[in-house]
Amino acid sequence: MKQYPVPLSKSDLMSVESPARYVGGEFNAVIKEDMLEELEKTGKTSYVRFAFCFPDIYEIGMSNLALQILYHVLNESDFVACERAFSPWLDMDKILREKNIPLYSQETKTPLCDFDILGFTLGYEMCYTNVLQMLDLGRIPLLAKDRGEDDPVICCGGPCAYNIEPMADFFDIAMMGEGEEMILELSEKIREYKLSKSTSHPMTRDELLRNCDAIEGIYVPSLYKVSYHYDGVQNDVKDPSGETREALDKRLGADVRPISEGIKTTIKKRIIKDLDTCTYPTTPVVSNMRVVHDRCYLEVFRGCIRGCRFCQAGFIYRPVREKSVEVLCEQGRQLEKNTGYDEMGLLSLATSDYTRFPELAENLLTTFEGHHTSLSLPSLRLDSFSLDLMEKVQSTRKSGLTFAPEAGTQRLRDVINKNIKEEDIFSALRLAFLGGWSTVKLYFMLGLPTETDEDVLGIADLAKRIEKLYFDIGRETGQKMRRLDITVSTSLFIPKPFTPFQWEAQNSKEELIRKQRLLKDNLRSRNIRYAWHDFDSSVWEVVLARGDRRLGPVLLEGYKAGHFFDAWDDHFRLNEWVEILEKHGMKIEDYAREYSEEETLPWDHISVGVSKKFLLSERHKAYEETTTPSCRENCSGCGAASFGVGECFAKRTAGAEETAGADSASETSPAGSDGASRKEGDA
Amino acid sequence: MLQSEREKMMTMQEHQTAFVQRASFSREGSTVFLGHLDLMTCFERAARRAELPILYSQGYNPRPMMVFALPLGVGIETRCDYLDVSLNCPYDADRFTEELNEFLPEGLRILKSKAIPEPKDSIMSIVTTAAYRFEAKGIREAMGKAMQQDELIVTKIAKGKEKQTDIRPLLISLSQASDGDPDSVEFYAFAGSERNVRPDLILSSLSKYCGMDPATAENARVIRLGLFSGEYPRITPIDEVEVRPFQPQK
Repeated sequence: MKQYPVPLSKSDLMSVESPARYVGGEFNAVIKEDMLEELEKTGKTSYVRFAFCFPDIYEIGMSNLALQILYHVLNESDFVACERAFSPWLDMDKILREKNIPLYSQETKTPLCDFDILGFTLGYEMCYTNVLQMLDLGRIPLLAKDRGEDDPVICCGGPCAYNIEPMADFFDIAMMGEGEEMILELSEKIREYKLSKSTSHPMTRDELLRNCDAIEGIYVPSLYKVSYHYDGVQNDVKDPSGETREALDKRLGADVRPISEGIKTTIKKRIIKDLDTCTYPTTPVVSNMRVVHDRCYLEVFRGCIRGCRFCQAGFIYRPVREKSVEVLCEQGRQLEKNTGYDEMGLLSLATSDYTRFPELAENLLTTFEGHHTSLSLPSLRLDSFSLDLMEKVQSTRKSGLTFAPEAGTQRLRDVINKNIKEEDIFSALRLAFLGGWSTVKLYFMLGLPTETDEDVLGIADLAKRIEKLYFDIGRETGQKMRRLDITVSTSLFIPKPFTPFQWEAQNSKEELIRKQRLLKDNLRSRNIRYAWHDFDSSVWEVVLARGDRRLGPVLLEGYKAGHFFDAWDDHFRLNEWVEILEKHGMKIEDYAREYSEEETLPWDHISVGVSKKFLLSERHKAYEETTTPSCRENCSGCGAASFGVGECFAKRTAGAEETAGADSASETSPAGSDGASRKEGDA
Repeated sequence: MLQSEREKMMTMQEHQTAFVQRASFSREGSTVFLGHLDLMTCFERAARRAELPILYSQGYNPRPMMVFALPLGVGIETRCDYLDVSLNCPYDADRFTEELNEFLPEGLRILKSKAIPEPKDSIMSIVTTAAYRFEAKGIREAMGKAMQQDELIVTKIAKGKEKQTDIRPLLISLSQASDGDPDSVEFYAFAGSERNVRPDLILSSLSKYCGMDPATAENARVIRLGLFSGEYPRITPIDEVEVRPFQPQK
């Protein structure tokens, strides 16, 4: 493979932190030689040149599974050449600007503006400004409307793409849902566009975008207009502050509709129906330098059966689809061999919920026997099996045990539908403490809906009872116990789109600080540490998560004032962002407030398959402190079965057949979406 | 198993018989910007991908047993550095070279390898001298001047503290580039665990005392040409040094 020199002097490279971030040359990286030959000879290529962009530093981007999957999918096709690009850290950012060097790709060091398409993966809202940094450094007009026929098409995907409104001014295209198929369909359209340029009827950019709208799951923001108004809420809106209609207009309801006929009114997310047959990268790019998660990943299943009401991932990735053990074992074997990593992470939203988890774990451990390869098992539900497993996989170092009760009392856990019972935590901990574990991490959220001081104090109480359990076991067994280390960690509740809590208000900063102090004052013990999450970023995150297109100019101005790397607490300046927001006639409260159930939400034109009606019924159940069973126990009719696949769908189909004879009424509602609406009616 | 029992078991270590490959390697291209720890990780992963029967250290955190003769700083290319790789069975040297090369990232290459008896002296301990090549405009004059100085005091940062040190005694001999390039020099300097000089310190002394433009010095290409054992001029390349075999204690 030919190596492409970095367009920087040695002293420039040597002057930055971790120069290896900027040089490429990784094992398994793909360079399509025939494309380069073509380019060299004719200055053109028929390949679609795709730059997969990660809006954060290299070490974080290279730990991202979406990047590895889509890089692999694109390069496997015979008409796309995909390369990678990352946000340069501030030191390199400065050099690129001073020396007037465009941001380039890792593989062939091509400036981003020379690609046909840029695809950003948006995993967290705080990376938005880094998208602007990369476009800017890549010499691409920041605003979609300013881009011409020769500029690359800028698209995005990932969890944040579901409410892309705050970034709608900057993206030509957003992809909703799982990208393996969609990204190739999109690339095909780009290819047609590119090839048409050398014909007598070149396609315009506008035509291209309209063509892309025909692809299911693809959202072209510029083909939609937004009105901020009372539509549908007119009669219900009370106006206690006596603000003018105009002022209220600015605050309530963002209704997004197509600008003309023939454009889809609802964009429905895409899913992969069969994960077993879907391409999975068993030859991922292996970084030469150490990165944040230095391991290979085996994705076990998508979706989550649980339905915790605060969790966006739990709803947007529905329905639950598992890979078979046979496929996983084979992929695991290949991954270990092809990467050389000494650690493999099993990835999913809740690994223990994999139906054949024991079999999978045993099988992989047998495969790795004698290889000094360890399994990393995040999001594991603790029971005797998993403890035993952890003994085996972590034979060298005993890391801490992690629990995420999320709330301090059973009442609040019922509100959020976190199906973890105290008895389960204590019985698992008893086993663990007997087995020699002495480090426990507990994760909670502050500011959850209906939270009272009693719930906050419940967190402290739980931690203290765990402390007591540890020493009780020491006394019972007469064993010499190691020093106990309990970490209580709190993050702040952020209402996210497409969850039952999407309408909820976020506690004010003052209220959150008060709650945090209350907890801190009640957690005084030499064995318990309290770690908390920064407030400022959570305050801004809610604005971006539930925002609308009025934030576009705010983000642009913020970026131009030098704000990026907002995901890095040291670089995030809330006060300055608030100032810019207010300058544009808005305030934090506009987005942190409780959204009315009647108003049109900025993301209502997007469908993740879970109906708004279901989310609403879940919200009401939360207030009644009623839980909802997991998808495995009983289908609650969220709507995701409309995809026609998944565990719940299979269950519903089977269930409908069973009950068909016994209950003649059910004959009128066969499995499928009808069944869903019936169940919703009940709830 | 209880934690206490586990700990006991882990600390019981026996000597593992090692079949050692002493290999020379080169690095260029993007891998030049890797730090030494990252470089070691690259070799470890390549060996794992090649499914070589690597021997792992014992203890709490088993690591592949690979020992590098001398750390290779960020920004330094090499034409010939060395490492010892311990395997758990005899292995053909050419096969070792070939298989590892197939799985190394672009820019890293095993030049050749040979099976040696398990050495009594660590490969690190036998290095005394390194040969380097600098490429930069005016380097010949600057290095010539440096050799004529009585002392070359540079600031070294060690463990967070600044320290003044004279590197002149660590430069052994200077010669013209073997390919006759007027903007290149080649020289020998002390290297290894006892006395060592980092090439970047030599370059900074050139801009400090020998009239070289600092930017030119910083951008100089630095290539390590080889590592040797013995006392100059009677030095031997590391892979030609006779190995004293390790005798396990009965």
